Amino acid sequence: MDVGARGLSDAAPVSPGLAHRALRLGIGYGVLPRVLAAIALSMASAAALVALSGHDPLEAFAAIAEGAAGSPHQIGVALNRATPYLLAGSGVALCFRAGVINIGAEGQIALGGAGAAAVALLWPSSAAPLTTAAALIGASLCGAAWAGVATAIHLGRRVHEVLATLLLNFVAVLIVQQALAGPLGQKGAGFLQSPEMPPAAWLWKVPGLGAHSGFALALVVSAALSLLMWRTPFGFALRVAGASRRAAAYAGFSINAITWCVMALAGALAGLAGGVEVLGVHHRLIEGFSLGFGFKAVTVALLGALEPLAVVPAALFVGLLEAGAQSMQRQIGVPSALVVVIEGLTMLFVLAATARRG
Amino acid sequence: MIDFLAAAIRIATPLAFAALGGVLSERAGVFAVGLEGMMLMGAFAAAAGAWATASTLAGVALALAGGAAMGLIVAIIAVRYRADHMVTGLTANILAGGLTSYFLRALSGGGRPIAIHLTPLGAWPIPGLADIPWLGPLLFSLPPLTYLAIALSVGLWWLLFRTQWGLALRATGENPEAVFAAGLHPMRVRMLAVVAGGAIAGLGGAVLSLQQVGTFTDNMTGGRGYLALASLIVARWSPVGSVAACLIFGAAEAFELRLQTFGVPVSSYVIQMAPYLIALAVLAGLGRSSRLPAAIGHALPWER
Repeated sequence: MDVGARGLSDAAPVSPGLAHRALRLGIGYGVLPRVLAAIALSMASAAALVALSGHDPLEAFAAIAEGAAGSPHQIGVALNRATPYLLAGSGVALCFRAGVINIGAEGQIALGGAGAAAVALLWPSSAAPLTTAAALIGASLCGAAWAGVATAIHLGRRVHEVLATLLLNFVAVLIVQQALAGPLGQKGAGFLQSPEMPPAAWLWKVPGLGAHSGFALALVVSAALSLLMWRTPFGFALRVAGASRRAAAYAGFSINAITWCVMALAGALAGLAGGVEVLGVHHRLIEGFSLGFGFKAVTVALLGALEPLAVVPAALFVGLLEAGAQSMQRQIGVPSALVVVIEGLTMLFVLAATARRG
Repeated sequence: MIDFLAAAIRIATPLAFAALGGVLSERAGVFAVGLEGMMLMGAFAAAAGAWATASTLAGVALALAGGAAMGLIVAIIAVRYRADHMVTGLTANILAGGLTSYFLRALSGGGRPIAIHLTPLGAWPIPGLADIPWLGPLLFSLPPLTYLAIALSVGLWWLLFRTQWGLALRATGENPEAVFAAGLHPMRVRMLAVVAGGAIAGLGGAVLSLQQVGTFTDNMTGGRGYLALASLIVARWSPVGSVAACLIFGAAEAFELRLQTFGVPVSSYVIQMAPYLIALAVLAGLGRSSRLPAAIGHALPWER
């Protein structure tokens, strides 16, 4: 079917571009070679950039690889990096599949972290698994609630979901800062952070590796989401809604109900990502801990072609890149921002390579 | 009072450029989520250019080029390759953040950012008019790029609503097939509009780095591109109206600064939320009544 021509002749679209958005977001067969080609192209562009700034690209990539996987500890760091991206990215993938462009992971992650910290600090307990579980539940609820605010604005007032979620991100980050300046903050710390949480709330770490248990949790979540998407009636409904709003409405699926469900799920997962980051890595809530995480979630969701299981390698790829970038900057002086360039370029190439041609 | 209004104008100027660029892009049918990245690239190109050449004019020219380059990236991916406009714009923003951070450090050779120190552009009083009490200091003693923003808003209105070019551009946003039937190329019109919009948004970045701060810092646009996007929607894609909407956002932020300096016991974080909450409230208030250009976000058929 000629997607573009249909889009043009659509006299009264439900919402502009919605109907075929999912198709243009790269759903289709034969995605894998295109994604790999996109990664290769962006790596080549990054290499050119490194050469342009007077460094040896091979040396830079070797330094990234060395820093990312050179020792068990480094692998642990990379796994911990990948965990929040995987959790939030799986949720974003679900939303995008349903044709809901949820960019709000950043704010949901921030509030999730704050929720986890609040539970762990305000109701301290020595029963380790219970405290951790309570904190993670608090994190998910905060994330889901924030996604709910965005959904209410989107569905209730017809504000485009991209704008609603984007603008709420800024508000959420400021709410966390306000909480750190007030009830959650550590007095006299010099910058905005909470006191350290009781060790009972910390995530268990693999001895010798330093990876926390969050990654295992994220693997289970992405497997569960994949099942939800492909093996349940709800998953079918959301895929139909993403492929064609009209078909979904004709089949009797409620677009509003689907939007509420995927947003709440994605919000809960992003909140969980924030909670895992706070309980597993920092052991306290720090201002700006979630900076850039929301966009990374979108990156890995697209790299994983909106398939929760495929988001796993995508998140690992980004996690390894970022873990390696710091040591690249230390060793040979190539700025670690190179990784952000690689991520941005990869996303652009993936978008170009997987968009449907009429 | 004059101070307050002057602050509102100052804060609104970068937003106004970005919003005007966004109007061009959205009127042609391409969502302008990439404004943030276009501004950021413009801010960096302006600062680095002016610093390297010691010429403000070169900085401004580079800001135009930097913003246009980001616009070209968005145009190629979203228009030519027909990817989703929203996601493409966001991706361009990420890329701009990465590229500017990278080059800021790569230019110094090592891992540290280069230190750019520029003298922010001063006011250019208009002889005669600047001496009028009240109005003079407020409206006729502005920095050069602010005059340009005002001129540009009127110029764009004229271009969009009084010329053939503008008609073709608006038609591409409303009904590209009609444009094609008229013998024009909707895809070229869209790509041109996005690139030109990017150049204008890049000027908004130049306002920040050349006229207001005098240096470039990582992510110095800090969400202004998204506020500009909100203001152009609030103003229903009208050039003059979106500048007015930016002034309202500017006034809101100037009001916050006032509150802070007078020591009103409101947390600064709560005050900082105001522009985003106002934007959301206004967008929610418009609700269904905000009619988008009919073909916005729709992909064009491959061959056109």
